[in-house]
Amino acid sequence: MSRQETEEFRARAREWLAANAPRRSDGDDAEDTGDRAGVAAQKAFQARLYDAGFVGITWPKEYGGQGLTGAEQTAFGEEARHYALPVGVFFIGIGMPGPTILECGSEEQKKRYLPPMLRGEEIWCQLFSEPGAGSDVASLQATAVRDGDTWILNGQKVWTSGAQFSDYGAVLARTDPTQPKHHGISMFIVDMHAPGVTVRPLRVATGSAPFNEVYFDNVRLAPDALIGEENKGWDAAVVMLRNERVNIGTMVASQHNPLGFDSLRDLAGQLGRLEDDGNRRRLAELYARQRGVALFARLLRDEVMTGQMPGARGSVAKLAAAELGAFAAATAADVLGDELAGFQAGGSEHHEAELSAVATAIVAVPGMAIAGGTNEIQRNIIGERVLGLSKDPGVDRNTPFNQLRVGTQKRGTS
Amino acid sequence: MSLVLTAEEQSLRDSVRRFVAERSPLSAIRELIAAGEPYDPGVWKQLAGQLGLASLIIPEEYGGAGAGHSAMSVALTELGAGLVPSPLLASAVLAAGALLHLDDEAARDELLPGIAGGELIATLAITGGPRGLGEPGASGGHVTATGTGDAVTLTGGLAPVLIGAQADVLLVPAAGAETVAIYLVDGAADGLSRDPLTTVDHTRAAARIRLDQVPARKLAGDAGRALAAAADLANLALAAEQNGAMAACLAMTSEYAKLRVAFGQPIGAFQGVKHRLADMETAWELSHAAVREAATVADQHPDRFSAAASVARVLTSVPYFTAAADTIQLHGGIGYTWEHDAHLFYKNALSGKVLLGGPGDQLDRLATTLGI
Repeated sequence: MSRQETEEFRARAREWLAANAPRRSDGDDAEDTGDRAGVAAQKAFQARLYDAGFVGITWPKEYGGQGLTGAEQTAFGEEARHYALPVGVFFIGIGMPGPTILECGSEEQKKRYLPPMLRGEEIWCQLFSEPGAGSDVASLQATAVRDGDTWILNGQKVWTSGAQFSDYGAVLARTDPTQPKHHGISMFIVDMHAPGVTVRPLRVATGSAPFNEVYFDNVRLAPDALIGEENKGWDAAVVMLRNERVNIGTMVASQHNPLGFDSLRDLAGQLGRLEDDGNRRRLAELYARQRGVALFARLLRDEVMTGQMPGARGSVAKLAAAELGAFAAATAADVLGDELAGFQAGGSEHHEAELSAVATAIVAVPGMAIAGGTNEIQRNIIGERVLGLSKDPGVDRNTPFNQLRVGTQKRGTS
Repeated sequence: MSLVLTAEEQSLRDSVRRFVAERSPLSAIRELIAAGEPYDPGVWKQLAGQLGLASLIIPEEYGGAGAGHSAMSVALTELGAGLVPSPLLASAVLAAGALLHLDDEAARDELLPGIAGGELIATLAITGGPRGLGEPGASGGHVTATGTGDAVTLTGGLAPVLIGAQADVLLVPAAGAETVAIYLVDGAADGLSRDPLTTVDHTRAAARIRLDQVPARKLAGDAGRALAAAADLANLALAAEQNGAMAACLAMTSEYAKLRVAFGQPIGAFQGVKHRLADMETAWELSHAAVREAATVADQHPDRFSAAASVARVLTSVPYFTAAADTIQLHGGIGYTWEHDAHLFYKNALSGKVLLGGPGDQLDRLATTLGI
């Protein structure tokens, strides 16, 4: 692609977005994935976006993509930043299972599943974590047992975004418990409407339920469900987790972040807290740290334009973003003081509504340091894959899974 | 505007890196320290003359290369990684930058070609926090000007002034009857005394200057504007140097964590070591991105430079000090010995953290720039 073609693409995107997409307003929440009623509208919008040629920009044409380059992807992202595209329910599928099927799936799977995923006809979720397998996800206990030319899936998954809307999921299950834990895992496509699949909302500390628990009770998988090779699912999982970290770490921040510098400065001003030099310094430092995280995300994108992929440095972006959140929460508490401890949530004053948003955002901050891989796991990845330090000894690495103690299970009860 | 180095910048980086490894390794810097020398004149001659580093931000019409601040920051990053002592920051960044932001054509014609070639060493005598660089009442002392025209003289004292004992000429901010101006003082002028200071950082020479009715020439132009520009240039330059030094700490400590074995495995396998190194890497990445941003806006969006330079300094000086302290800690006992290089970085990080405005001053300045 020449630079000129990229700019033509950008101009076309700008024109289409201006004519078809809702602009961002201050009240938008970038994390909003829509309710059930919103899903139909999102599907309709995604189909129009797809038909206009702005979905799967870098994906091959034969699987429904546009066959263009990272330059066009970046150009579209930059143009789309000013709009609140109602496509949140597709974020997981296109960001994680999609690229994994593209990299590890069979020709039939790519042809069958990728085009409807891109066009928004089918929604996908990712089913990795379990109550007993979070950071150490390779110790997962869900099982898929062969039955003729199919498998029977049993177990429980957790932290599944969008499971309640999903048509398909990419699920990790143990297919050979006699092998060491990383070697007996396979990745499957599961039909979320199949008999035996139960989805329950999972309520988190903020009081909302942005995730689900998913139960599989003797769910029969399709004969073509296996992604990649049997017992080689961990390799596919590593591909998917890498995509997840880059997605999270470089996500373009929503324009209205209650813990962002602009918002906290305004609120501190309204409450008369800017006379204090300590508060001014805290806010200036928040600005600097926020810029640092945004500039690093931009640097990673700029590097992609020159052909350098972020690889494990996506973990740096994710860790830095989580630490920024913690710093912003501490800054908000310092600067706003006891107004944060109690406020009129439904009050008519602007600062009352804003205080409520700040309080909710502070309660959400610990989740950032856990979701998509804890800060500690990111530090392991940075140490091992970016700096080349030795791996954790992994005392369980070579032991057959069925001889291990995992999760919080007590010895001798499995 | 990309944050990635251009091909020219990569080539500049590589040649400066090679030069530092060949001509100014830390072993050679230790010999300078032992001999009490502030820098190696031969290295400086090559840096300035052969590599042309002193000419980078000086426009071609004044004998410079006109390459810009981005190129200068790339060079400073490599010199910082090697802790190379030289007059580059004082002369070719701060003094040259102040002259370029003043409005004295005669002084530019007279001084900039020499500064660009490295034959003339200049310094800008500024101290204290950037809220009051050179202003009466700024920490570090102050200077007053009396008389007019050819008869003007300066009296007062300032410390610490970078490369103050070695500079051929000094640009001295001083308060006159009405306003602050910047004055040109010859290093050999009567009434000027310069006492080298004991500096905690052996690689950063500074002096106390005392002026007793020293003849001086008032430079035309807005001193406030020039001093503000110098404060921003100091932030970018120090951040660039320190970003390089942080990379050196990171490389040195990662390498050691792969080699040193304890309790049956390389210490880098332990999370107590691994996670601190991951934090060092993360801090370095953010600093690097911020330095690249500040360097590119200095050339392309001067209106955004002040905030960007503050951000770069804030995201570098304190994290570098932490990185240098962690470098000692993660090396253990060997890292605390005189023979190990870690203390050279620790001392450099300490002076770089407080010079020309410490962390609190920087946040105050950034808050003011941001309008809070």
